[in-house]
This record gives sequence, structure tokens and C-alpha cells, in this order.
Amino acid sequence: MIITSNLSKKYNDNLVLSIESLEIPKGQSFGLVGNNGAGKTTYFSLLLDLIQPTTGFIKNNEVLVNESEDWKPFTSSFIDESFLIGYLTAEEYFYFIGELRNQNKADVDALVAQFEDFFHGEILNQKKYLRDLSKGNQKKAGIVGALIGNPEVIVLDEPFANLDPTTQIRLKQIIKDLAEKKGVTVLISSHDLMHVTDVCERIVVLEKGEVIKDLATSAATLKELEAHFAG
Amino acid sequence: MIKRFLSLEWKQFSRASYFQKGIAIKILLFFATIYFGGAAIFLGIGVFFILKEVLPDVDPIITINNFLIYWFLFDLVIRFFMQQLPVMNIKPLMTIPIKRKTVIHYLLGKTAISFFNFLPLFIFLPFSIVLLAHGYPVVNVLCWFVSVMILTFCVNFTNFLINKNNTFFYVIVGVLAVFIGLEVYQIFKISEPIGVAFNALYNQPYFVVIPIALLIALYRINFNDIRNGFYLDGTISKKVEKVDTADLSWLDRFGSVAVFLKNDLRLIWRNARPKQVLMMSFLFLFYGLVFYTQPTYQKMPAFLAFASMFVTGGFLMTFGQLVPSWDSEYYKLLMSQNIPYRKYLESKWYLMVVAVGISFILSTPYLYFGWKIFGMIAAGALFNIGLNSFITLFGGALNRVPIELNVKAKAFSNTNGFNPTQMLIALPKLGLPMLLFYIPYKLVNFEVGLIVLALSGVLGIVFKNFFLSQIENLYQKGKYKTVVAFAEKK
Repeated sequence: MIITSNLSKKYNDNLVLSIESLEIPKGQSFGLVGNNGAGKTTYFSLLLDLIQPTTGFIKNNEVLVNESEDWKPFTSSFIDESFLIGYLTAEEYFYFIGELRNQNKADVDALVAQFEDFFHGEILNQKKYLRDLSKGNQKKAGIVGALIGNPEVIVLDEPFANLDPTTQIRLKQIIKDLAEKKGVTVLISSHDLMHVTDVCERIVVLEKGEVIKDLATSAATLKELEAHFAG
Repeated sequence: MIKRFLSLEWKQFSRASYFQKGIAIKILLFFATIYFGGAAIFLGIGVFFILKEVLPDVDPIITINNFLIYWFLFDLVIRFFMQQLPVMNIKPLMTIPIKRKTVIHYLLGKTAISFFNFLPLFIFLPFSIVLLAHGYPVVNVLCWFVSVMILTFCVNFTNFLINKNNTFFYVIVGVLAVFIGLEVYQIFKISEPIGVAFNALYNQPYFVVIPIALLIALYRINFNDIRNGFYLDGTISKKVEKVDTADLSWLDRFGSVAVFLKNDLRLIWRNARPKQVLMMSFLFLFYGLVFYTQPTYQKMPAFLAFASMFVTGGFLMTFGQLVPSWDSEYYKLLMSQNIPYRKYLESKWYLMVVAVGISFILSTPYLYFGWKIFGMIAAGALFNIGLNSFITLFGGALNRVPIELNVKAKAFSNTNGFNPTQMLIALPKLGLPMLLFYIPYKLVNFEVGLIVLALSGVLGIVFKNFFLSQIENLYQKGKYKTVVAFAEKK
């Protein structure tokens, strides 16, 4: 589904990302871990064509992301608050995304209804603009926004950060279901090793912009990761 | 402490991405500064002799005093649009041991070193020297000069206040509108007592304390206003607004651009900054009054064409010049969502067209001035729809200054998304309608001038797809730069 080849990103002479080859098959739940500055967000930004690669390319479902916009209809993402429109209510935001992705109101309502649990009564019918919600609630709205319109690829940067424990557990279930039942390719990054090992079938460790571990998740993975980061 | 602030400022300024403008614009700005500075000095020296020549019976200082109020008004208006107000990120300063007072004094003090405060120096200093050379009493001239300079600073702080505080903005604009109305319709010549007051300032040197008191008062008001807004949560807790959920589904008839139109309407309606722009553009409707009522301009139809374009083009220009900037807060979303640039641009275009249409309908009272004037407004509206809209969108694409839609951080953020690129782009916007009208008018007649101006707009509409493609290319090319610039924290 997603093929990365010879990809590198340099700022001035500083190499922040260098991935020779990375292939993520369709329907995989893929976790990216690494310390700050390892290149996680850079990789996601390259995947979403928000920054320009210095060399190499990413192909998303056979589409070269930095040359064509055709990856947009089947890819969705939530990276940070700049993916929210602050002056809309959560419902309006969902409908907006829905319309962009050719979903009618009923489609969006049906999808959003599945996440009532996840929202915990703090998102819908709040009569509040998104900018007035707390960081955690903004994140919830953003994540669900990224699920609208049956995307085939979903990119979530640090989805667990800022969420309360209950919501974290629910989110894990949601991500698992997406990959297992619906065949969606889910890419997440996280600093929480436990969560990623719970959720992802495959975990890649980035360090200083390079892939240094590529693990298929097993019972031993968490230990291995902990040992690695303990240094 | 002040030294540290200055170094922070310098870093913020020199490390911002929009600082790296083209060298050509920098050179142009440099020459513009020299030009205007030189012109001001010549004006300052020459005005005494000119007035002596034109009005030999009246003392030039009296004439100057009678017209001084217009100077200050002009100063205020220019500043409102152009003066960059100080920007400071206060959040990190709140938790470290710096007295709030220090920060605020610094912030206010910084506005004092603006170019706009030095401009009058270029005019009034030479003028005062000329006065002294002609044997005017030293004390009077000196005190008068000091008063004018202090009043300039008063204008400076008034501008600060109306930029940062909407209540003051509406009050002051309201008062000015009433005064100008009284003046224009000759109900009460408010400029006369003000002229008398300025003359009194000159005749009674000790009156200089009045402007000083005014300046101190304005400074205090500003100080308190900023101080009240100094708490982050103070403004936030007040601000949880009631949500208005107007049903906008009637917009769906616009087809694929409806989704953006709905969003844009909400953008305008729910954010203070675009609301302000909307109000400003409403004021543009009255622009024609200034020109149509003056017999001088009746003989200068090029200026009438210019004014007529403004009547319907207010929203188009004020909103349109900041087009991608309005969406800067969530630009990454727009760039990664399923949005073709074309649709995005098209929806903005429709929005502007609708705004021109509404302005045109609202401008029907101008029929009072006759069909010729109204014909000009109609031709101007067509020009706006067909050409001006694209020029404005084109200019917007070059503009990468992020905008904070929300007011709450306003006292410390840059409220002017203005930059020199826009000034350059403004030239064709203003000059083109004049030329399009004036050349055929001179060569043939008035009607042909109107037709050419109107046809230029129609042509623009015909070539809409071509223009949109060009602008789209520009967007594509600047995409990465724009994403970076908009992500920059203000």
C-alpha cells in the first residue's frame, strides 16, 4: 500500500530522515516509535506531502504523493490541532469533512454514532466551538474526523497523548478493528511503548531519522523495545 | 530587562520566515522611504511660501492650524491600515519573574519608535524653522511644535487602542462618522472650533499642557486595557460564546463549492477579525459620497471610475487580499484533505462575486447622483467581478502571513496581515480601472469608457478558468513554503 524508497529529508545540511526502503502492506496496523527528533512527524508530513522530500519518494497506493494529489481521496490523517477548524462545532466539522469526502449527512451521522462511547458525552451536542474544547477533547474530535469517508489509509500522530485512560483504551479497540475488520492501513506514532505493542502488528523504531528496528509484534516485543530505549 | 526584550524582538523579527522577502521589494521600500522623506521635508519648507502665495491675507500658521485636524485624521486612518503594531508572545513571560508593568510599558514604548511618528517631524520641523526664520515668536512656535508632536503620539496611542479594543474602535469610528457627516452636509462645521483650538495652542504657549495631559490619559487607558487582557484565562473564560447554528443548507445549490461557502460564511460570522473586515468593507460603500459630492471630481472622471470601483469592491479587496491567510490556522488540514485547489479558489471567487453583487444592490441609492454615476458603479462592479477578483486572489497567493482569527490574543498579536507585496499588487487593482476607463474616454467619449471598463470585466469572466489555473499553479508552487509560514507561531 505504502512504498517508501530512498527517502531523505535535509534541512540545510542536517539530515533528519533517511529511509532506504520501507513497505507497508494494505491492512497493516503500523506503529512508529522513537525519541524526539527521530523523524516520526517528518515521515508523516512527507507522506501527506506537507513537506518536500530531499531525495526519494513515497508511493501511496501507486500514487507518487509529491507529484499527484490522487492519494487524497483515500487517505486521511490527524497530526495536530492545525487539522481542526476552531470556529466550527464538532458536528459541523464532521459534516465538513464528510462533504469533502462525498458522504452525506446521514452517512456521517451513522459513523459518528458508533463513537458515542469514545466521545464520552463531551463532543456532540456541546454547543461549543472546537477551539473552546480541551486539548484531549479536541483530539477525540480530530481522530474521529479522520475516520470519516471510509479512508483506506489513516495516519495518526501521537493519538494517545492528551487522552484520558478510558479513552486511550477505547481508542486502542477502534484502531485494532480498523485494521483487522475493515482492512484499513493504519499508521500511528507514539511515545507509549505499551500502547503501540498492544495495537500494532508491526513496529518500526526510528533513531536519528533511520530505521533501526523493524519488528513483527509478539509477546517479546515490549520487552525488546523497553530494553532498547533504556539504552 | 528592556535590553533582553529588544534582543528577543530582534530574533523574532529576523528569524521569521516572511522576513525573507525578495530583495527587489526591499530596494523598492528603501527608495520609497527616501522619496517620501524627501517629499515631506520639501513640503514642510515649501508650505509656508505656498500658503503665503495663495492666501496672502491670512497668516500661514492660521491656515495650517485650521487644516491640522484633517492631517491628524488622515494620519489615524493611514495608521489603522498600515502601522504594524507590536507583537509579543506573553505566555512564556507570565510565569517568570518580570513585572507585568515592565512588559506593558515596553510594549507601548515600542510603538513610539514607529516610522509614522517620525513622519510629522519631517514636515513640521522644517515648517517651524521657516516660521522662526521669519521672526515668529520663539516660545509660541516651539510650544506649538511640541504640541503637534505630542498630538502625533496621541494619534499613535489612539490607533493602538482602536486596534486592540473593539469597543473603542466602534466608539471612535462612530464619533468620527458623526463629525464627518455634520461637516460634509454643512449642518455644523466642527472643523472650525477645532481650528480655533489649534490656533489657541499656538497663541497661548502654556496650553501645551493640554496635549500632554491628553497623551498621559491615552497612555493610561492603553496601559489599563492591556493589563486587563494580560491574563490568558481572563479572556478565555469570558469568551465561550453561544454557538449559533444557522442552517446554511440553502447554500447547497451552489454545487461542489457549497461546502466551502458554508465554511467561509461561518468563518466570517464567528471570528472577530473577519467580522471587522466585513464591517470595514461596508464602509467602502460610502466611499462614493466623498467623490460624487465634490464638484472638483466631476471634471476628473478617472477618479470617479476609481471611486466607483471602490464602492462595490470593499469586501473583495479587504477580504480577498488575505485569502489563503484566513485559513492559515488549519491549512495543513486543507492540504491533506480531499480538496482540489481549484474548488477552494473557485469558492473564494464566488464569495467575492456574491459580495460585489450585494454591494451593488446596496449601492442603488447612488442613482440619486444620476445614471452616469450609477453606470460607473455598474461598470466598476463588473470590473471587480471579472478582473479585480483574480488580481486580488493572485496577490493573496503571494501573501504568507498567518492570521489569528480569534480576538483573544489580539492585544499581543499582529493584527495587520499587511506586507509590501500586497502594496505592489494593489497598484494594478487601483490603476487598471482608471486606465481602462480614461483612455477610451479621452479617445472617444464617456459611454465608450464605461463600456470598455465593463467589457474588461466580462472578458475576465470568460477567461475565468484560465485565470484560476494560473493562480492554482502559483498555489502549487508555493505550497510547501506556505505550509511552513502558516505553521509559524505568532
